[in-house]
Amino acid sequence: MDFNKILEEIKANLLALVNKKFFEYKKEGKKDMEAFIKQSEEKLKRWTKALENKDIDLDDFEWLVKSQKDLLVMNVLYQTGISKIKLGHFKNSVVKTIIKTVSDLVLNKE
Amino acid sequence: MIPKTIKKTITTLLVTFVLLTSCKSLKTAIYDQHSYEQSISLKVDALDLMSKAHQPYVDHENEINNYLKEFKKLKEYEKNKENNEFSYEMLQLIGDPEKNLLGGFFKRWKTKKTISDFMIKEPKIQVEEAFDILIKYESNKNKEAISKYLNK
Repeated sequence: MDFNKILEEIKANLLALVNKKFFEYKKEGKKDMEAFIKQSEEKLKRWTKALENKDIDLDDFEWLVKSQKDLLVMNVLYQTGISKIKLGHFKNSVVKTIIKTVSDLVLNKE
Repeated sequence: MIPKTIKKTITTLLVTFVLLTSCKSLKTAIYDQHSYEQSISLKVDALDLMSKAHQPYVDHENEINNYLKEFKKLKEYEKNKENNEFSYEMLQLIGDPEKNLLGGFFKRWKTKKTISDFMIKEPKIQVEEAFDILIKYESNKNKEAISKYLNK
């Protein structure tokens, strides 16, 4: 079983998703996604061992790997959503700064 | 009479203001206690139901259908909230019978009649993680709502 091949495919699919649907959050999403892929390795090893021991069949194994792919998508959705919230905070801070600056310049000028 | 430099600063600030406030894509639905509680409740019930998958699907069909009805209600609730596309997408993914999280697990259980211990244990880990992501995302919206009140 070639772990690297599976991981590379997952990574490529996710990058395609980020590029297609969430282009504006690409940079941050990619970084967190790579960290998450690293966490998947342990599960993949456990499932491969179960396959080798015949605790599961190939159909079960495939189901599990696909579930991990879906979980990775969940994670990308989470990370991009969080980036959006953070950008929203930034936006609110900018709006406040603008209002304060204008009020200081116009209302409190000597 | 306002001096020229101040006029220029105000104009720049107003342009920035208009650009930022018109940026609708940055808006996110605020924290919702109902969504948070329902997601936790659905997570607990899902894991409970999955634990029964070593028994025949037909023995739990009513229970599963009732669960799916509750799941659908939350999905519709999230769908109709403004600027809530991420929570809705997450729920779609968890419940989709063509994917490999909760919806896919129920579909598989129905097809296979019963599921082996390993294939209950591992998908439970996956489904638990999926719900945790959804719940964590909702609770992160909380910070935004709180900071709005604190900064008022």
